[in-house]
Amino acid sequence: MDTSRRLGQTINSVYSPLSVKVVSVMTMSLPKPVMRGLLSKRLRFHLPIAFTLSVVAAAVFKYTVTEPRKQAYADFYKQYDAMKEFNAMKEAGIFESVRPSGE
Amino acid sequence: MMFSAVVRLSASGIRSLARAGPSYTAPLASRCYSHAKAETDEEFDARWVTYFSKPDIDAWELKKGMNTLIGYDLVPEPKILDSALRACRRLNDLASAIRILEAVKDKSGPHKEIYPYLIQELKPTLQELGISTPEELGIDQI
Repeated sequence: MDTSRRLGQTINSVYSPLSVKVVSVMTMSLPKPVMRGLLSKRLRFHLPIAFTLSVVAAAVFKYTVTEPRKQAYADFYKQYDAMKEFNAMKEAGIFESVRPSGE
Repeated sequence: MMFSAVVRLSASGIRSLARAGPSYTAPLASRCYSHAKAETDEEFDARWVTYFSKPDIDAWELKKGMNTLIGYDLVPEPKILDSALRACRRLNDLASAIRILEAVKDKSGPHKEIYPYLIQELKPTLQELGISTPEELGIDQI
């Protein structure tokens, strides 16, 4: 019967990587697999991992990117002399309200 | 400690989606329920077999029932599918019958042992009602 052959082919293609008994699969009946709660089982496994990995990713980004950046800004402004910088800009002639000391 | 909170969160989140879905055997399940008695798997199955066994079921009820059933976190038992296929027969709806088979194959997801088992259990019904499987029709391949 064509349907039996096709069914056998379907089952064989599913089972052949796993079992040696490829030909005799048609005669033995398949055991009942677990059919309930498959998604919740998957989530129970993957959600804690996903949550943990997200937290780790955020922590890694914080301590390799944002904290060094904040530190770089802090270090720059620790010894920053605003008046010195202002005078340098003034002498460069970029302002309109105050001209370089030469003019 | 944190893991159990996430598990309880995920279990209750899924349960609220499943609404009247099947009960869990997980030990945490009892904490999440109200005083109502939890429906057992057998009661759930019986309820759905009865739903599809209605002699004068109409096309809308069939579709609604199947869509609701597919929304649950489970692959329907062979006896529920048998009842649904017979409802398709009463409604002269071969397309829905074959679609039900495609749907349960999809519901199995990565668990490839479920669909062959279902076909094995449904073989007598499929032969009696003259329903071809998607594989026999060659429509299971893209």
